[in-house]
Amino acid sequence: MNGRVILVVLAVLFALRLLLRRRRRSTRSQPWTPKGLSLLKGDVGLVAAREVRERIRGKVFRVGTLLILAVVAAAIVIPVLNSGKSGPQRVGVVGALPASLRAALVASATSIGATVHLVPEANLEAAHGDLRSGRVDLAIVGSRELIVDKPIGSADTSTTAQLVLAVSRNLGLAEAVGSAGLSAAQVSELADAKALPVTSLQPGTAKGATQTTSTVGLILVFMMLTQYNTWILIGVMEEKSSRVVEVLLAAMRPVQLLAGKVLGIGLVAFAQAALIVAFALGLAEAVGSDLLRGTAPLVLVSTLVWLVLGYAFYCWVYAAAGSMAERQDQVQSLAVPLSLPIIFGYVMALIAASSGSPSAFFKVLAYLPPTAPFAMPVLVGLRAVSWWEFAASVAVSIVCTVGMARLASNVYRRAILRTGRRVQLREILNRSAG
Amino acid sequence: MGGLLELEALTRRYGSVTALDGLSFSVPAGQVVGFLGPNGAGKTTTMRAVFGLTDLDAGRVKWNGSTVGQAERRRFGYMPEERGLYPAMLVGEQLEYLGRLHSMSAHDAAAATKTWLERLGVADRATSKVEALSHGNQQRVQLAAALIHGPELLILDEPLAGLDPTGIDAIGDVLVEQARAGCCVLFSSHQLDQVEDLCESVTIIDHGRLVVAGSVDDLETSGPRRLVVRVEGNRDASWACGLAGVTVSEVDGGAARLVLDESVDSDLVLRAAIGAGRVTEFVFERRRLSEVFREALA
Repeated sequence: MNGRVILVVLAVLFALRLLLRRRRRSTRSQPWTPKGLSLLKGDVGLVAAREVRERIRGKVFRVGTLLILAVVAAAIVIPVLNSGKSGPQRVGVVGALPASLRAALVASATSIGATVHLVPEANLEAAHGDLRSGRVDLAIVGSRELIVDKPIGSADTSTTAQLVLAVSRNLGLAEAVGSAGLSAAQVSELADAKALPVTSLQPGTAKGATQTTSTVGLILVFMMLTQYNTWILIGVMEEKSSRVVEVLLAAMRPVQLLAGKVLGIGLVAFAQAALIVAFALGLAEAVGSDLLRGTAPLVLVSTLVWLVLGYAFYCWVYAAAGSMAERQDQVQSLAVPLSLPIIFGYVMALIAASSGSPSAFFKVLAYLPPTAPFAMPVLVGLRAVSWWEFAASVAVSIVCTVGMARLASNVYRRAILRTGRRVQLREILNRSAG
Repeated sequence: MGGLLELEALTRRYGSVTALDGLSFSVPAGQVVGFLGPNGAGKTTTMRAVFGLTDLDAGRVKWNGSTVGQAERRRFGYMPEERGLYPAMLVGEQLEYLGRLHSMSAHDAAAATKTWLERLGVADRATSKVEALSHGNQQRVQLAAALIHGPELLILDEPLAGLDPTGIDAIGDVLVEQARAGCCVLFSSHQLDQVEDLCESVTIIDHGRLVVAGSVDDLETSGPRRLVVRVEGNRDASWACGLAGVTVSEVDGGAARLVLDESVDSDLVLRAAIGAGRVTEFVFERRRLSEVFREALA
């Protein structure tokens, strides 16, 4: 299993690396245009294609994508490696181990899906040495005592911890059975005892897995909204400060330039998110992770939907803000207040996802476009929202996005060519009203 | 190619400041027209108004008799005062991109990029980032960006600023060549010697109003006639002091600069000079453009 996991991760990373290298080489001779972008016609398409090309070519994007994939791979693979560590547990034995106890030991291992390998120890000191060096996982001394290197906590779910508890219980039982003077048939019957099956009234929800998927999705949405909206903010500011915007707007309308920019960067964002999700799905399937069971797939789809809607809402705000700035320090002073609703929504959603019981206030946040991209996927994961509530929130977000796009286009059109000092929103809005 | 740019009563106010105050003039095809004026005269605002980059309070911009719209502007080329290129984008890709924004096909944009980079001597920098280029080469690339789509009207804001003589020659040659090919070329500059060399006509504005417009020849030969006379043995030009309608404006190293009233016959001046001694220099002098400029703004 371990080898398979490592091979899958390496293969994906290697393929991605090759792909990026091929793209970089191809840019030296002629502009590389991502396939499919030729479908985007007109000025908006040209602007969007340039954005996609320049962003994908950037080192930040390449390294960032690889980093995110590595984190996602770790989040999926490490739990599998831990839970699936089914290699033989090495048990040191000091003194003789009677056949009945040996059978009880094997039965203990079998009950938790593990196997044991017995290691004879010359004496107690040798057993201590092997425990400290990790050559054995536990040691049985004189059939009456179990020794481990570190204490086992109640929250420890590792195979070794489970084995120690099972062996401790079963050896104790075997000793008690032996001292009770039962017949061989009775002992055998006791040894064959099986646990009764337990049936639950409600279906399993794989709550832990869904919670993890929700949290990973939240982190993804937060990172992507922050990163890509910052790209828009800085990109618009740089076009203004480098005066290239004058050359561009001599040939096209401001709304075309703005639309091309947000579309291009949005395509990059969504493509990166889709790549990460596809990678996560493929890897989870390959290694048999339970992170995508229960409502987790629904959470993933919902996360993608809200990533698009969240980007669509915020991109206009950031573009309008970028058009009012001309320097890096001005951008920073704008970025802080703009990021507050994102941070607020993110933190509230993390709290709700970990508690598992969303408050009424949190449910309200799921209908507000600035916080819905974080709140709604969490509600989906907790099965605390119906389809029509989800649809209503989507509709509210779309309507508000259209209004925001109009307002932002107006601000952008009036601010992008005003240079010399930071443009104040009040002047722009007053002028709009006038 | 060919056309006529007409600016009609352009007015633009920024609060209490009037940048353009009913400015009107035209730029015919086939000429390089210098656009002059002191700092803050309204030159950049005028140029931006042609491309719709500033809202006008009144007036309109016409191309071949029709009000200029987006379709017409795509056929114009613009080089802003503070260079306008993506610093981190490759030169060749940037030019192709700008060509395509002016309705060129990908193939034509690539071919034009190659042609202009070679013509301006920066073909080897096609795969460099703009920010890696020297000021002069960035200027050449900026000019290529304005020319890439074969514009009918070329408007350049200070295209010669900060260039060495080689750069000025390279860009100047291109501007003249474009005008000869039938393009309307309007460019602003504070380097009046270069304007004098390159332009057939000039337009001078101040405080957003037209002050003077006309051909360089006409402007330099207009106004009172000016004579430079050198008389051997008479270094203080005393011989000219008593002549009616003649003013001695300057005496420099024995050469007297005289300004003649319209009614004065230059032959009378020559005879007076001969009477004072042997005349070694007798030349009608044209006004320099810098003088025209100063007089216009006085």
